[in-house]
Amino acid sequence: MSSVTQKSASVSGPPPKRSFFDWRVWTVASVLLAAVLLSIFFGLKQHAQQGFFGTRLFPLKTAYDFKLNGLNSAQVRLDQFRGKTVLFLFGFTHCANVCPTSLTNLADVYQALTPEERKQVQVIFVSVDPDRDNPQTLAQYVTAFDPSFVGLTAPKPVMDQTVLAYGANYEMVAGPTNEPNDYSVNHSAYTYLVNPSGQLELLYGNEKLAEVPKMVSDIRAVLHEPRS
Amino acid sequence: MGCRPAAAGGKTHILLFESELRALCVFVAKFPRVSAIGSRLLFFALLLFDAPVLLADDQVAVTVQHPWMRAVPDVMDSTAVYMTLVNNGSAPAELVGGSTSIAGSVAPMITTKQGEGTKQTVGMQSVDSLKIPAHGTLVLEPDGNHLMVMGLKEHPKEGTQVDFTIKLEPGDHEIHLKIPVSRRPVK
Repeated sequence: MSSVTQKSASVSGPPPKRSFFDWRVWTVASVLLAAVLLSIFFGLKQHAQQGFFGTRLFPLKTAYDFKLNGLNSAQVRLDQFRGKTVLFLFGFTHCANVCPTSLTNLADVYQALTPEERKQVQVIFVSVDPDRDNPQTLAQYVTAFDPSFVGLTAPKPVMDQTVLAYGANYEMVAGPTNEPNDYSVNHSAYTYLVNPSGQLELLYGNEKLAEVPKMVSDIRAVLHEPRS
Repeated sequence: MGCRPAAAGGKTHILLFESELRALCVFVAKFPRVSAIGSRLLFFALLLFDAPVLLADDQVAVTVQHPWMRAVPDVMDSTAVYMTLVNNGSAPAELVGGSTSIAGSVAPMITTKQGEGTKQTVGMQSVDSLKIPAHGTLVLEPDGNHLMVMGLKEHPKEGTQVDFTIKLEPGDHEIHLKIPVSRRPVK
C-alpha cells in the first residue's frame, strides 16, 4: 500500500481531495440502498406468497369487523368467528350463474376437509341485495349448498360500508322490463379468507374456487399457521 | 371432409358426432365392398345408442354435447343451462334462445367483467344471440356464457331430466333435448 501511494505521489501528484458530501458518492450509495431495500421487500412479498394458491396480502391486516343481519334478527359480526378460518363472498340470490357456481365450489372445498377441520372453517355469503334477500331467504338459499353455510345481509348504508371496507364494488343493473324487481346486480366475485386471528389473509377470484385440492391445501396451511 | 354424412332423405340430414362421423368415413373407405350394408348398420347402431343425435338442415349443422341444467335452491326462481354446441357446418350459426315448459323464458347471456382487482365486478348481460363459428364450438359453462332460465314454474329436481328446446339461426331452427338436472357439470 505504501508503494502505491508513493507511486501515485511521484507520477501524478496528490489525488484531488473528495469532499465527504460529494453528491456522486451519495447518489450511488442511495441508489444501491434503495435497490437493496426493494429487493428485500419484494423478496419478503414473494416469500409471503410462496406456496399459497390464493393471492396473499402483505402485510397482513386485521379484517374489517362487519356487522350484518342473520337469522332471527341476530346481528352477526366477523369477530364472532375469531379462532375459525372464515371464507366469505358477496353476491345475491337472484344470481343464476356466478353465485351458485362459487357456492357449489366452496361446498366441495368444505366437504373435502376432514370433520375436525370443518369445525374450524365457516363459509359466509353476504347478499348485497337486501331489498330482495332477507335473512330467511338467504338461509334457505345458502344451506341448499351446504347446511353449515351462513347467509348475511344488511340495509344499504351498512352494506355499502362493508363493501367499501373490503375494496369491493356492486351495482344494480335494470332488467329488460320496467318492473321494479327486474334488475340484476354486478358485484365483486372475490372470496376473502380471514384467518383465525381475524386477519384478511388470502383473496380468490371466482375461477380459483373450482380448484378444490389447491383451495383445501391453502385452508390447511392457514389452519396450521403459528398463532401469536 | 372427403366423406359426407349419411343422408336420411330429403333436405334433412342426420349428423353424428364429429368423431363418430370420422370413424364411419374411415370404415367406409377401408371396406368399400361392405360399405353399403356396413355403413348403414353402423349408422343405425349409432343412432340407437347415442343420445344427442339431432336433426339439422343444410344451413345449420350443430350438435349438442354435455347439456345440463343447474339444480338450484328452492328459493330461486331462475337457473342456468350449460352445454357445448359444435358447428359441423361451413356456415356460422347462432344460438338465439330456448324454451322449456317449466319456466317462463330462456335467454342467452354473457358474463361481463368491469374494473380491475378487487373492485372488479362480475355481471351478466342478456344478448340477442351467441355465435357458433363455422367448424367451431360455443361453450356454455359456469362463470361464463349460459342460457338463463327465468321464471321457474316448477323446480327442476337434481337427478331428473327436463325437456328443453334450443333455437338456432339461420332457418329458425329448433333442437329438442332432454337435459339432466345437476349441481355440478355433467360430462
